[in-house]
Amino acid sequence: MEESNVPATVRDLTRRRFLQATGATGVAAFLAACGGGLGTATPTATAVPTGTPPPGQSPSPTPQPTPSPTLGGTLHWANWPAYIDLTGAAADAGKYAPGSSPTIVNFQKQTGITVDYQEKIEDNAHFFATIQPQLVAGLSTGWDLIVMTDWMAAKLISKGWIEKIDHGAVPNCVANLRDPLKGLSWDPGNDYHYPWQSGMTGIGYDSKALTTNQITPPASIADLFTIATAHAKNVSFLTESRDTFGLVMLKLGLDPSHVTVATLQQAHDAMRPLVDAGVRFADNSYLQDFAQGKTWAAMVWSGDLAGSGTADEHFVFPTEGVMIWSDNMLIPKGAQNQPAAQAMMNYVYDPQIAGNLANAIYYVSPVKGADAVVKQLNASAPLDPTVQNLLFPGPDVVAKQHAFQAPLDADTEDTLNNLYLDLSGG
Amino acid sequence: MAVAATSPRPPAHAPSRRARVGRAAPYLLLTPGILWLLIFFIFPTLWMLLISLSSGDIESGFRLTFDTSAYTKALGQFTPQFVNSLTYGSIATISCFLIGFPVAYTIAFRGGRYKNLILFMVIAPFFTSFLIRTLSWKILLGDNGPLLSIVKSLGIVSPDFSVLPSAFSVVAGLTYNFLPFMILPLYVSLEKIDPRLIEASHDLYAGNWGAFRHITLPLALPGVFAGTLLTFIPALGDYVNADLLGTTTTRMIGNVIQSQFFLIGNYQIPAALSFVLMAAILVAVFIYARVLGTEELTG
Repeated sequence: MEESNVPATVRDLTRRRFLQATGATGVAAFLAACGGGLGTATPTATAVPTGTPPPGQSPSPTPQPTPSPTLGGTLHWANWPAYIDLTGAAADAGKYAPGSSPTIVNFQKQTGITVDYQEKIEDNAHFFATIQPQLVAGLSTGWDLIVMTDWMAAKLISKGWIEKIDHGAVPNCVANLRDPLKGLSWDPGNDYHYPWQSGMTGIGYDSKALTTNQITPPASIADLFTIATAHAKNVSFLTESRDTFGLVMLKLGLDPSHVTVATLQQAHDAMRPLVDAGVRFADNSYLQDFAQGKTWAAMVWSGDLAGSGTADEHFVFPTEGVMIWSDNMLIPKGAQNQPAAQAMMNYVYDPQIAGNLANAIYYVSPVKGADAVVKQLNASAPLDPTVQNLLFPGPDVVAKQHAFQAPLDADTEDTLNNLYLDLSGG
Repeated sequence: MAVAATSPRPPAHAPSRRARVGRAAPYLLLTPGILWLLIFFIFPTLWMLLISLSSGDIESGFRLTFDTSAYTKALGQFTPQFVNSLTYGSIATISCFLIGFPVAYTIAFRGGRYKNLILFMVIAPFFTSFLIRTLSWKILLGDNGPLLSIVKSLGIVSPDFSVLPSAFSVVAGLTYNFLPFMILPLYVSLEKIDPRLIEASHDLYAGNWGAFRHITLPLALPGVFAGTLLTFIPALGDYVNADLLGTTTTRMIGNVIQSQFFLIGNYQIPAALSFVLMAAILVAVFIYARVLGTEELTG
């Protein structure tokens, strides 16, 4: 819709292919900026963003602590799929493989820490169930760094299952966390968490599949419901119940930031006929369903389709509003390598690195100065307006953002879980 | 004297010591198996039974209160999923038998020197993971997959016809995944049949059908029994096929156990559901053994 004004060539460029081209130069630029040196990538004049000194002159342009001698060992890091920059075959497959992420490769070079990065989190509750028994028993979860959405992060912190962050070890985080993300009620001083990325939940669609079936692309949740009524099997909602119920509440004109048992029930009742007709609930696997042509339109997370989908897959901000959230880096109790986890937190809060990352995964970076880096990286070709809004939501998008109430009291949480299970088939 | 007194002793004592070791040998040989069962089956099962009768949760701790509410909830709330499990499990087992018997029969009686090769082909899919095999059915049965795209281009079905996701695809997935568990025991019992018995039946004026009904099938019964159990029990408890190939209305009891545990973080209901499932399977197996008759099964 919004993209109809953009010429096809530019549209293609602003998508993944453009990214793959700029990716190489971006990698070269940030390797140069960090004083690393990748033998094969020769930084050219255009590759080095203006303002960044050429390699050799200044090995460390951004504030970074000298790696402390205690750093080393392995960092066991659990994260969500489509949440890290990838190159080569891994980028085509959309799945992380060791050595495929410039961000991680450079971190390993810089610190000597081996990173065991696993795309193990597809759903907050599901991942929580895999670490809860160890946390209760006071054992190590096997992870040094995990990434959980606000409500789950708040829950983990309130139970005392998260290690306190040593602010002295993360100067970049202290200096560069964006102001709107500071002072959250559940961790006002950022003693336990730093956001990894923020994002929005809206609608994704495959323009090719919709055109073939003569369906107008959805602009609202109401449109998604219309498509679901006629083609239930090709529509999916999210297993992350807060996102699904939140969006449906917005469609019904209800407020997801103040939920009650009654409003949850209303959202449930609105979805019931669609689910009976065959609408499915998907976790991050909706990426594969889109790729296989199984899903035509769905509730999706903002950066995924732009970052990992094809040029036909688009994200729209529904007219009723979008859900916003942050996924947060946390160090679970009993972590074996807290210094390495803190080193990673500090590293990804370097604006240069955060900018490169944002430019690859299309989520909203929580790091001050990352937006300037993304703009530099895309200086030669203007960003598609939709992509622009994914990375730097404009005032019209910000006005429509809603956050799901966090934390919920126990009864409301039970209601939400049971209503969700009732819909998803138990 | 001393020498003379002690020398006859060893021969007198040696046989009894050897006999004692001999008597203990079976128990010693059983020890690893018994320990394994104790640690990985008996203890966890008892633990699960205690949990299912406890109140509390993992954070505040469990207290054994002999509270049976988990069982009432398990039986009352999840009837459709139990029905799904039983229906899909039974259909998949019958399909496995109908597909597997001719295959096993052909390998056993007509395999010749290709016997090992065909058997290998039956087992070959097991070299990849269960998950991958199930996921590949998503591609095979997909709207644009090899099967439907051919059928659609031939105009046999309408362009918006789809098999996935449905109860049919769940049963198809179950049938495919557990088929080797049916074929292998059937093959073993068919292979043991002495072909001269069949020849003899022909000499006694039995036709092909008569020979099959009175010779082959009864002698294959132990294989049929083993095969159906090996197929039916895991199929009943399976949740992967329903999760990947099914819809919200085709969820099985395994899916409920999974979501109650992973989403709600409840321990009692999944434990109670597991016991109800075990009980259902035991009852089904006893009825089945009674119907087939135990003599045929051991003979």
